[in-house]
Amino acid sequence: MYTIVSPRVGTPGEEYTPAQGDHIDALLQGGFIIETSKPKAPKSDKVTPNKE
Amino acid sequence: MPTSTYLSNPDVSVNSVDLTDQCTSATFTHRFDQLEATSFGDTDRNFVKGLGNHEVTLTLYMSYAATETYATLAALVGTATNIVVKPSAAAASATNPTFTLTGGFLAELPVINATMGELSTVDITFTGGVFSVSAP
Repeated sequence: MYTIVSPRVGTPGEEYTPAQGDHIDALLQGGFIIETSKPKAPKSDKVTPNKE
Repeated sequence: MPTSTYLSNPDVSVNSVDLTDQCTSATFTHRFDQLEATSFGDTDRNFVKGLGNHEVTLTLYMSYAATETYATLAALVGTATNIVVKPSAAAASATNPTFTLTGGFLAELPVINATMGELSTVDITFTGGVFSVSAP
């Protein structure tokens, strides 16, 4: 996942969705976007079976 | 006097980076190789369409500041990317078509083009790639 940093690419803070043919490395190297990791889904609670 | 004219003010982006404010000239040429198909018996030359051979030439003010001209182009030299040009910044429409070159190759970038007392500009040319036009 990429996030826009420069207003030349879009609205800063919004997710950058590459168009076909976009050169991602050049955008990263130029400081136009940054790579951000996807937010992790919260872990579900452990369920222990009742011993009856 | 023409009934309709166009005052040059295109919207230009390279690799999804809006460079309109740095651009002073843009030429987008939709072109095909011209193959000779003339044969004996013909009295005039005939040609047929060959491979697409499109080209975009831009003149840009050079700036080495962050996220400006040099930062946009430096890593693109020797690679292919997208170039999008519209007649104006208005939304794409039948009267404001979006011209796209997908996979245009940038073979060279003048990293310095300086003349005393003048703002530095660079001319760059993207060649090859797939031409498309969209006018919703």
